[in-house]
Formats: sequence, structure tokens, C-alpha cells
Amino acid sequence: MINDEYLLAALRLGSGLDPIPPHVSAAAREAYSLRMSGAITASPVECVATSGVRDSSGGPRLVRFATAELAFDVEVTVGDGLIDLAGQVTPCPGEGSFIDIRTLQLIVRREVGRTGQFAATGLPPGWFSLVCHRPGCRPIVTRWLRIRS
Amino acid sequence: MSDAALLLKAAADGEDSAWCELTALYGPRMWAAARSCGLGDSDAADAVQGAWLRLLENLEHIREPQALGAWLATTARREALQIIRREPVAVPALHPPFESDPESAFLEADSVRLLWQLVTRLPEPCRTLLVLISSEVGYQQVAVRMGMPLGSIGPTRGRCLRKLRTLISLEEMVQ
Repeated sequence: MINDEYLLAALRLGSGLDPIPPHVSAAAREAYSLRMSGAITASPVECVATSGVRDSSGGPRLVRFATAELAFDVEVTVGDGLIDLAGQVTPCPGEGSFIDIRTLQLIVRREVGRTGQFAATGLPPGWFSLVCHRPGCRPIVTRWLRIRS
Repeated sequence: MSDAALLLKAAADGEDSAWCELTALYGPRMWAAARSCGLGDSDAADAVQGAWLRLLENLEHIREPQALGAWLATTARREALQIIRREPVAVPALHPPFESDPESAFLEADSVRLLWQLVTRLPEPCRTLLVLISSEVGYQQVAVRMGMPLGSIGPTRGRCLRKLRTLISLEEMVQ
């Protein structure tokens, strides 16, 4: 049985009185430039640390993304309307590796070869994805994460 | 192969124009799905953008390309519901959604046209009430225009939608 919300959404769609705004369509078209062809996707992983910290309020939040060969642990701090990220890639990806912290507006690049650690501050809230580039290997990209200020 | 499947494959193969066609084809119903959750413009835009990002993550893994529209509408709705929860850090679901809400098929163009045909068959006050509510008119204005007490708009809306569902069921039995 169709629920009221979908029924009304369908009627509104048909009425043409609440069309999709042009900037929403433009953003959808531009999203294609964020495609990472050939990359390996790292999905979120539940772990003791992240599940415990996520429930608290106010402090940093921990998020883990992982593939079979690499994990991203990311600490997210929200303050003054901006986002700070600090993270660790394990195992250490080696010399010549770098992380791209991607938002819809900008990409911040950080070297991670020696320690696997990276950080970026003062980022705009919104959608985030990390990419680990390693010499001679396929890039590993996290699924998109939304962070509010 | 359906149009959606062809476009999906072309987009996965790197054709920017195919992606643009997908956004034009499915954007409006994703917007409607997000708005159906009661979101304002900014949050609805965020939900729709989130759904497109989920498609990017899954370009090569959509199980039923012919049902892409339903998948996108469902995904936009799920992103909208996550926005409503107001979590500061919204971690994506552990497993990307593969199943669509069956109801999202009602956001297909043919279904929308049929739905409006059925609305015209409803008796008054349902016909006018649903037209007004679909026009983003607030309950206060609906009450004034219909000459009804404000408190009766919600219950009447519920009764009218039930009648509309009955017509949908009858239509489905005929087909």
C-alpha cells in the first residue's frame, strides 16, 4: 500500500509546481567529475572505537573505512561552522603515497608516505570522501560521508 | 536493453553526456521524493546530491538498471530521512541499498499521469483538496479556500487519499 508521502510526492511532481531547482540539477551534473574510475571502494566499518564515540555528543567523532588491504581511521571535529579532519591510514602506504580529501568544492592533498597520518583544518561542512593514492596501485576511495557544522 | 540500462553503462564507461541525461531524466522524481519527507529546499538539495553520489559509488553495481529511477528515488528518500535525524556525522549505511521502495514506482511519469487522471474522478471536496495540497498551498489557505475548519483539513486529506488508493487498486485490478 503506497503511503501518503509518496502519493503526495507523485501528485506534486505531476502538478509541476515544485520543480527541481536549476542549481540542484547543475550540481548533479557536476558530480560526475568526482567519479573515480578503477578505484577500490572502502566502506564504513563498525568497530568498538567508532560505535562508542559516535554516541557521545560534542567531542570528535571517529569513523573507519576499510578494504581488505587498507583502513582509514578518521577523527572528525566540528567547530565554528568548519570541519577539522585528522586521520591515519593503516598499514602505512609507503613513500610517494598521498591522500586527497575531497569535498564538492575543493580537494586538499596530504603526503602520508612515512607515517600514514594526515590532517586538514577549516574545511566547509558537507560531503567528504578520501582517496589514498599509492605508487603502482589502484587508488582506494572511501564512500561519501556527510558532515554538518 | 532499456534506455536507463544503456545510459548507465555509458556513464560507467566514462560518457559525461550519458550522466547528464540520467540527471535530467531522474532528477525531478528524486527531488519529489526528498521533498515528500518534508525537507526545505536546502536539505532536499543535499539529499538529492547524496543520492547522485551513491549512484557514482555504485555505477557498475546496479542490479536492476531498468529500475534505476526507483532506486534513485528510494536513495534520495533514505538520504532525506538521514538528514532529518540531524546527525553531525552521517556515516553511509554499511551496505549500499540495492532494493527500492516498491512505492517509488509511483514517481514514474506514467504513474504520475494516471494518478492525476484518477484524482479527476474523485468526488468533491477531495478533488479540489488534493489539487490545492499538491500546489504547496498551506493548510490555512486550503481551509479558507475550501470553507472548511482548519482542524478538519488533515483528516479530510487522509480520507481523500484513502479514496484515491481505492481507485488505484481498482485500476490495478482492471489492468
